[in-house]
Amino acid sequence: MKIAFLSPRLHEPGTVGGAETLLYSLAQDAVRLGHSVDFLCTCARNHFTWENELPEGVFARDGMTVRRFPVDARDPGTFLRLQMALSRGATLSPADQAAWIRNSVNSTPLIAHLRTAGYDRVIAGPYLFGLVREAALAVPEQMLLVPCFHDEPFAKVPAMQEAFLAVRGFLFNTEPERRLAHRLMPSLSPKTEAVVAMGLEPFEVSKTALAAAKGWDFPYVIYSGRREGLKGTPILVDYMDAFRKRTGRDVHLVMTGSGEVEIPPGLKSAFHDLGFVSEQEKREAMAGAVAFVHPSVNESLSIVLLEAWLARTPALVHAKGEVLRWQCESSNGGLWFADYPQFEEELLLYLDHPEITRVLAEQGRRYTVARYAPDAVRQRLAEALQR
Amino acid sequence: MPTISIGADGIDAKKLEEEILQAVAEKRKNGAYDDAAVARAERSNLMTMQDDENFVERYLACLRQLIVVDIDDFEIIEHRARFAPLLKALKKSIWKLLKFYTFRLWSQQNQTNNVLLAGIEGINRRHNREIERLQARIEALEKQLAAGK
Repeated sequence: MKIAFLSPRLHEPGTVGGAETLLYSLAQDAVRLGHSVDFLCTCARNHFTWENELPEGVFARDGMTVRRFPVDARDPGTFLRLQMALSRGATLSPADQAAWIRNSVNSTPLIAHLRTAGYDRVIAGPYLFGLVREAALAVPEQMLLVPCFHDEPFAKVPAMQEAFLAVRGFLFNTEPERRLAHRLMPSLSPKTEAVVAMGLEPFEVSKTALAAAKGWDFPYVIYSGRREGLKGTPILVDYMDAFRKRTGRDVHLVMTGSGEVEIPPGLKSAFHDLGFVSEQEKREAMAGAVAFVHPSVNESLSIVLLEAWLARTPALVHAKGEVLRWQCESSNGGLWFADYPQFEEELLLYLDHPEITRVLAEQGRRYTVARYAPDAVRQRLAEALQR
Repeated sequence: MPTISIGADGIDAKKLEEEILQAVAEKRKNGAYDDAAVARAERSNLMTMQDDENFVERYLACLRQLIVVDIDDFEIIEHRARFAPLLKALKKSIWKLLKFYTFRLWSQQNQTNNVLLAGIEGINRRHNREIERLQARIEALEKQLAAGK
């Protein structure tokens, strides 16, 4: 089969994002299954500015042909104004919906290529970009969306749902995401619908390497990924500040990834921003942590949570994050908090009962190895491509 | 702290979670979390609590802890080693000049915040009373209906 994968940014060091990582991983699986694969993306690296930083063109990478196209001119002011209105629960007129989509991230040359290249299947995501919507409407019969749905107002915009209802099928990340799609659109009945997710190779990593290299002798919790309100990082920062003040425990907060984070004065000496790190460093940082804390309520699959379990670290997630909670419940690899008192109690439990953290972490690892083994994911993808 | 048991099948996270919730409920009843630090910590989490049954109570608890703007003097520090005493003295002088105006500004803000809080608490109490009255009335009507009157 001739298959195109499409995501607004190409997964590479310097661009961090679960969806990009997921799409790239699935593309690699398609290569291993013997398909001819093109990876379509834009010239942007920064997910705030979406400026064309990288040169457009075609090059080979990891057995695929990567085709990079420029992002269309856009008005970020209009986009942000309408996006904020949607976030507040406003209903947009059809004209405003069109303006919101037009000023998100689009690439006319990429869509033109898609219409003429004759792909058998196009796999694109995440949904929240004009580019992905336009691609879905350009080649609906070939399109398998990897939507990465969250229960958020953007997924309920009629102009977006028009594209969801038109496509051949969906590759979901988790069962709760599939259920959410049907809740959002009761009339949804695609030809193909599969929970595929992403394959992860198990790894072994030292629990003490990072602390030894940095000279750290304190316990810490870790968060990896984008730092922004939608990911819940302000909650984690405020909770850790309160935890240190209330319990007197010298527990530090470590973050890897990108994005601004406002640290209160009381937490400054106990906050360590590692920024972008290599995979090995990230794994070592995860392995040394008391817990991997994920405070987001908007996830379709947390890859970093799976990585933390592979590094034998238990999770502590926000209870309102349906998918994160489902991951913890299914694996018995972590606990969940709905408010600060629960967070405090659970972190104290992890700190004072290392045998509990060890068992939870092992359970999480066993679950990840069984469910997200690359062979199992590849098999699920192969079946979905044939439908 | 809950009593934790690791069974032959390992740990059931859901069961452990239930024990933790019980422990938290007990502590909450005893006032263990009536603390400004908890209220401050919850400010970022309020958005996710909006559909909770006890949202209004939690929201008001946060508001009560947060409405007072701190207008007291604070420690003036300087991280840059070079010219630190000079910079510190400069910052102190600026603060002395600004203090009078900021005090006036924030004390008025505190008065406004207090009035707003009293208003919201009053509305909440009134609504609660009205709901209780209506519930009692529904109950009475249901009893009458059941008795066939």
